[in-house]
Amino acid sequence: MLKLLKIEWMKVKNYTTFWVLSILYLISIFGAAYISHLIYESRPKDDKGMTGAIIGKPFDFPDVWHMVSYTSSFLMFMLGLLIIISITNEFSYKTHRQNVIDGWSRKEFILVKMLLTVVISLVATLAVFITAIIFGLQEDAAFSFEKIEFIGYFFIQALSYSSAALLFSLLFKRSGITIGVYFLYSTIIENMLAGLLNKYVDNFGRYLPLETTDNLIRIPVFKMIVSQLTLSYNTEALLLMSLVYLGLYYFISYRKFETDDL
Amino acid sequence: MDSNINTAFQRPVITGDVLALNGISKNYGNIQALDNVSFTVPAGSVFGILGPNGSGKTTMLGIVMDILKPSSGSFTFFGETPHAAQRKHIGTLLETPNFYHYLSGERNLAINAAIKGCDPSDIPSVLEKVNLAERKTSRFSTYSLGMKQRLAIASALLGNPDVLVFDEPTNGLDPVGIAEIRSLIIRLASEGKTIIMASHLLDEVEKVCTHVAILKKGKLLTAGPVDEVLVNEDIVEVAAADFTKLKSIVAGMEGFKNMKEQNNHLFIYYPQGTADLEAINRYCYERGVVLNHLQLKKKSLEAKFFELTNN
Repeated sequence: MLKLLKIEWMKVKNYTTFWVLSILYLISIFGAAYISHLIYESRPKDDKGMTGAIIGKPFDFPDVWHMVSYTSSFLMFMLGLLIIISITNEFSYKTHRQNVIDGWSRKEFILVKMLLTVVISLVATLAVFITAIIFGLQEDAAFSFEKIEFIGYFFIQALSYSSAALLFSLLFKRSGITIGVYFLYSTIIENMLAGLLNKYVDNFGRYLPLETTDNLIRIPVFKMIVSQLTLSYNTEALLLMSLVYLGLYYFISYRKFETDDL
Repeated sequence: MDSNINTAFQRPVITGDVLALNGISKNYGNIQALDNVSFTVPAGSVFGILGPNGSGKTTMLGIVMDILKPSSGSFTFFGETPHAAQRKHIGTLLETPNFYHYLSGERNLAINAAIKGCDPSDIPSVLEKVNLAERKTSRFSTYSLGMKQRLAIASALLGNPDVLVFDEPTNGLDPVGIAEIRSLIIRLASEGKTIIMASHLLDEVEKVCTHVAILKKGKLLTAGPVDEVLVNEDIVEVAAADFTKLKSIVAGMEGFKNMKEQNNHLFIYYPQGTADLEAINRYCYERGVVLNHLQLKKKSLEAKFFELTNN
């Protein structure tokens, strides 16, 4: 397994595009939290705690784990993009063929790409973890691991988006169409479908593939108001569905690469 | 028992058949790319697979390399059901040079070597063999077509494999490059390696191959040792001012197998090594026909190829 990852490392080590995007992505995780923090800082401060009561204290421990996971979840598309580039490059250079010709089994090739989704998700999660600590320590409340589960939810969401990107890449093969479809599906189409299903099919929209993991990390501010207005969510059911979808992404990707003409 | 332990760490000594195809077919929708193709590649042979464009050569090699799935049929490598680890000991160049465009030639070969599990210290020597050492640190995307092809050949040579598969190895090379690759193939063959080579360049195959298979529209027309496939014949080409008379007297001559006419020339076919130009000339002259053209032709692979693929 380590040997396979070492070869994957040789592929990306000198690939400028990958590193430029990765570094900008990591900066953006911090950036998204920073922008939210600026907005939070601009709240009126001489209202005898009225806004505080409504908004909460999202950058204090333990809520900062939730807040930073939430702001970072808006960048999920970038994670998917890294995976899409890694896989569609292989198709356009036909190096997926060459890897198999040189003696990898098809299984080894697809396994390495699955591992890549895990590694990239772990790195992103680590960045969110560190960012949350940095912002949390600026506030008054003492450090706490309470609500750390949101970091775990972020990891599941990252894994879900990156493995969906793996599947999209295997289905469409060319980078342009894969990026376009993935971007539109993850940002607009699925949300639209979710809206329709929520309206007409007993709120089922929240269990659509990416929506499921999005709903693990719901909006962390205005909690009092939000909880009045929106549906109630069952975290266990969302987690279970996330795992089902993850299994499906990996299984379909594996089957497809194993049986296709390459 | 001891001998078993010793040989377990050595590469298998190849005897018998390197590759055996058993009724391989491949359909792309309505198009039958391969139709029930069977043949065997003996160890130590230089096996040429001939066929016009689109005859199924690359499809066949793709199936053998597990990048295409056959619609039916099976094959064996070294007498075993095929598996990925076998490919680590087969150097293959299939269709196009497939490399990471953003990496240098050297770094690309490092990936190939890592997958094959062979020593990366091979890399400088294979680059040397294909005259690419000077440009080893340049990105693949800056290479010319010929250099890309050379890099692909270098990659196939990594780990000094006993079996090499070359699909159109001289594609994109200049005349010097073609000659170099040809002598490389001859050298590899003389080292006892088995070489499977697909080509539509007949000249190339004729110069280096010991065995040949000819494909047309996915069907195997013939396969076997070159001497057998090209049942060699002597062809004598003659012409005279009085063509009608020439025909009638040649028809009475003895020893030839067959006679054809084309553009006022007569082609007389003899079993290999039996045509006697002097005797033919004398025979005609004695019967009042003066030849204005008399030439002995060896039947070339090209003629055979056209003969087989034209009907």
